[in-house]
Amino acid sequence: MKFAPSLFDVRNLFFTRQGNEILKLITFTIPPGEYCAIIGPNGGGKTTLIRLLLGLEKPSSGTISLFGTPQAKFRAWHRIGYVPQRSALVDASFPATVREVVAMGRYALRGLFGFESAEDKEAIAEAMELMGISDLSNRLIGHLSGGQRQRVMIARALSSRPEVLIVDEPNTGVDIESQHRFYELLRHLNRTKSVSILFITHDIGVIADDIHRVLFVNQTLLLSQNPHEMIRCDEMSRLYGNPSHVVCHNH
Amino acid sequence: MIEMLSYPFMERAFIAGLMIAVLASLSGSFIVLRRYSLLSETLAHVSLVGVSVGLLVGLSPLWMAVATSLAAAWLIEYLRSSRGLYSDSILAIFLSGSLALAIVIISLSGSFNASLFSYLFGSILSVSNDDLITMGIFGSLSMALLILFFKELYFIAFDEEVARTSGLRVTLLNFMLVSIIAVIIALSIRIVGTLLIGALMVIPPVAAIRFGMGFFKTTLLSMAIALISVVIGLSLSFFFSLPSGAAIVLCLLGIFILALVLN
Repeated sequence: MKFAPSLFDVRNLFFTRQGNEILKLITFTIPPGEYCAIIGPNGGGKTTLIRLLLGLEKPSSGTISLFGTPQAKFRAWHRIGYVPQRSALVDASFPATVREVVAMGRYALRGLFGFESAEDKEAIAEAMELMGISDLSNRLIGHLSGGQRQRVMIARALSSRPEVLIVDEPNTGVDIESQHRFYELLRHLNRTKSVSILFITHDIGVIADDIHRVLFVNQTLLLSQNPHEMIRCDEMSRLYGNPSHVVCHNH
Repeated sequence: MIEMLSYPFMERAFIAGLMIAVLASLSGSFIVLRRYSLLSETLAHVSLVGVSVGLLVGLSPLWMAVATSLAAAWLIEYLRSSRGLYSDSILAIFLSGSLALAIVIISLSGSFNASLFSYLFGSILSVSNDDLITMGIFGSLSMALLILFFKELYFIAFDEEVARTSGLRVTLLNFMLVSIIAVIIALSIRIVGTLLIGALMVIPPVAAIRFGMGFFKTTLLSMAIALISVVIGLSLSFFFSLPSGAAIVLCLLGIFILALVLN
C-alpha cells in the first residue's frame, strides 16, 4: 500500500533574525486534504512560519520538505497557491485588468516561450468562475472593492490548480459579507475540490466547524486536533498569556 | 520632412531615436510600476562617468558608458536585494556620487567642450554608423529579452513576493532587467543625452497609465507616446538647431500634460 507524501514535513525548525529567536523547535506534518488554522498572538511567528514554508526566508536550522521533496530541490511551486497578507490592498492606478492578474498564476507553468494554451485559458476561466468574478474580467484591479480584489487574488492562486492553498490573514480591508463568502469558499474548496488549506487567522471561532487541526504558534508550536476545545476561553488565555474572551458573532 | 530625411545624419538620428524610443518606454514601464523610476536617472548619471573616462583616456565613450552603467546596475541591485538597504537611498547615493566623480574627471581632463555637451543633452549630429551598429546589436538583444520575459517582469512588478513563491526566478530576472536598462541608457546618450534619458523611460508609461487600461495596452500606448515625441523632437531639433534630448523631453512633457488634462 502506497501512502501519499505529506504536504509539509517540518523538522526541528529554528529561525533567528538579528539575534532574536523568532521560531524554535518547530516540528509538524500536514497530510493531504487537511484544513488547518494557524493562530497565535501578533509577533508570535505565524507569518514567518508561512514564509519559511514558501522559501521566502531561510531557516537558521532544521528541515522542510514539500510534497516529500526537500525544499531546496522542490520545483513544483504551482502545486502551492499563496494569498498573502493585505493582498487586497492594491495600488489603485496599477494598469492591470482582473483577467491579467488571474492569468499571472499560470505564468510559471507556461515557460519561456509559452503562449497561453487552451489549458491555461480553461484554468483561468474556471478560477474566475469559482470566485464569481467572470463579469469583472476587463475591469481594472484598482477600481474594485476590497472584497472583489480579495476574490481576484484567490482566483490568481487557484488558477495554477494548486493542491494546497496558503492564506495569510486575507481579510484586511474586506467587508463582513465578503469575509463570510470567503469562509464559505474555503470550506467548498476543501470539501469538494480536495484542496488542502493552511489559513492564518484570528477569527478561529467562525471556522471551528470546518478545520481539522489548529497550529498555535508563539515562538514554539502547539498542535491541537480539537479546534472547539482550543477556543475555550481558559485555553485561549493560557496560550495567549493574558485573559482572553472568545467573542461569538453570527457569521 | 522628406528634405530632412535626405541628410544621412538625420537618417541615422531617426533610426537610433526610434529604436531607443521603443526600448526605453518598454523597459521604463517595469521600473515605473515598481516605483523605481529614479534608477534610470541614476544609471544615466553613472554612464556620464564612463563617458568622461572615455574622453579622458581616448577610449570609446559609448562602450565605457555601457561598462560603467552595467557595473553600477549590478551593484545597486545587489545592495537592494541582498543587503537590505532602501532603494531610494542607494539610488540617491549613486546618483550624486557618480555625478561628483564625473565632474572631477572632467575637471582633471579639462575636456568640458562641445563633445561633452552633446553627451549631456544629446545631438542629432553625433550618431555615427558605428554607433548605429552597436545600438542595433545591443538593442535587438535587449528587445528580445524584454519580449521573452515580458509576462514574468510584469508579474514581478505587480507582486514580487507572490511571483517568487510561484516559482519564477525573481533574483535572476531583476538582475536581467537592471542590466537591460543600463545598456539602453548607455545607448541612448548620443540622442537624448545623459541628463535627459530618464524622462524618455519614465514619462511615456506614466502618461499612458493615466488612460486606465490593462498592462498590454498601456505598454503599447507608452511606446506610441515615446515614438511620437522622438519624431517631433528630432524634427524640432533639425529645424530650430535645438539639442535633440531637450526637444524630445519637452514633447514628452506636452503629451504628459495632455494626458493629465484628458484624464
